[in-house]
Amino acid sequence: MGQDQTSHQKMIWTIGGGKGGSGKSFITTNVGICLAKLGIRVVLIDADLGGANLHTFLGISPPTLSLSDFIKKRVSHLREVLIPTAVPNLQLLTGAQDLLNAADAKSVQKRKLIRSIQSLNSDTALVDLGAGNSLSVLDFFLISDGGILVVTPEPTSIENTYRFLKSAFYRRLRQSVSSSSVKALIDGAMDRKNEMGIQNPYDLIKVARGMDEGDAQRMIEEIETFHPNLILNQVRSKKDIEIGFSIRSACLKYFGIRLHYLGYVVYDQDVNHSIRRRKPLVLENPGSRASQCVMEIASKLANSHKISTRFKGYELQGH
Amino acid sequence: MSFKGIKDQTYYELLEVSHTATAKEIQRAYEHAKETFDVDSLAIYSLFSEEEAKGIQEAIEEAYHVLMDEGLRRSYDQSHFQMGGGLPVEKPSEVQEVSGEKGTSLSFTGLSFNVEVELYRGKALKQIRERMGVDPQTISKETKIGIKTLEWIEGETFEKLPPLVYLKGFLKSYAQSLGLNPQKVIEQYIRFMEESVKK
Repeated sequence: MGQDQTSHQKMIWTIGGGKGGSGKSFITTNVGICLAKLGIRVVLIDADLGGANLHTFLGISPPTLSLSDFIKKRVSHLREVLIPTAVPNLQLLTGAQDLLNAADAKSVQKRKLIRSIQSLNSDTALVDLGAGNSLSVLDFFLISDGGILVVTPEPTSIENTYRFLKSAFYRRLRQSVSSSSVKALIDGAMDRKNEMGIQNPYDLIKVARGMDEGDAQRMIEEIETFHPNLILNQVRSKKDIEIGFSIRSACLKYFGIRLHYLGYVVYDQDVNHSIRRRKPLVLENPGSRASQCVMEIASKLANSHKISTRFKGYELQGH
Repeated sequence: MSFKGIKDQTYYELLEVSHTATAKEIQRAYEHAKETFDVDSLAIYSLFSEEEAKGIQEAIEEAYHVLMDEGLRRSYDQSHFQMGGGLPVEKPSEVQEVSGEKGTSLSFTGLSFNVEVELYRGKALKQIRERMGVDPQTISKETKIGIKTLEWIEGETFEKLPPLVYLKGFLKSYAQSLGLNPQKVIEQYIRFMEESVKK
């Protein structure tokens, strides 16, 4: 795979969930820039199936090189398809969405992508997963060191985020169990109108316990170690900020999982202006309120070994 | 915390506070939980059915009333965390009875104050303060609100209260010192005052 001699274990953050327009690409780009400015070597990875355009957020032309060039051996090293940016320590990798395409993504390809990213000579990677909900996207979200959900304080955005989280949650549980009957039970539990009367994860564990005590225990362990992160974007009031804490509480009561509320970004006209001008906000207008919020989130990520979720031994399986 | 259903959670887990939480922390946690599981909350409607949300609201009310009452909290702690093992046991029988009832009546506590429907009027603020075991002098010292003014606020002696702009400032400081939502306290207190004055 053409690994760099200096490659080392790095933090891989995936940004997903919610719905289109919640600000995932904006946050990926601007948080990445802030991390780079803190001296951390960052690779931004565009894996948005719905429309990969991180380059636009960075103000650079559509790249001619992508991950495909490396996979198809048109170049010998992955680093050759990295696109430099105007920001020191920050590079861009495009074309990852091709590997996450639900229709043909195989586990071997996903593993290959992870290994490729790990091989890069950088400290951290931020992967923009877009609003997709496919199994490959879910797997990538789960296998990363930290999955970040970006949500706006609107019913549709929150609803979609829960849908994404529910899918990721059940997929994680499904991959932790060995009994095929418990796997089938989990598949059935996804539908709230299931015949078994399973309304929530707690009911699911109860029923699973009767089928396979070991699997039930493994599921509980998965629940207790699953800590996705949350960023609330486009907040306009204190009440909006509180919604992030409410989402955290609701997830604890429903899923039993402890969500990390990484922070919020205020609604700011400067954000739209910066996107239109194709100039990253934190470079163009670092004093803006939204920039300050992004910087705060980035500094939390920079010190985030504690809040990262590393799924050691998590096996990417076919579906 | 091991994975538990709502019915199996301790009062502390329901309110997401530690066993050593102060009255102020419990009050804050309660305000947050009430907001989160409110019928209009954006954070819950797509996860919980109305019935489930109502069940959680009732459990939260119950937890709040027990943990804010020194005596009830002590006996609850004794029955749940005896032997120092921290393993929760069954809820006290009187609580179980109440859990089975419809609505949020908590008559077993001897408290007539119903937080769910009560406005933050003066009497309510006084009741919350007393339940937290905080005397007026402490509030006065912390907020710089004069004792007399504090008495007028709690006693709903509206004619003696300072002009609205100052009153709002006092209510904000008072609410913060009790761990309440200042915006709600100001809004509800002023509304109650204006309605009372009209009458």
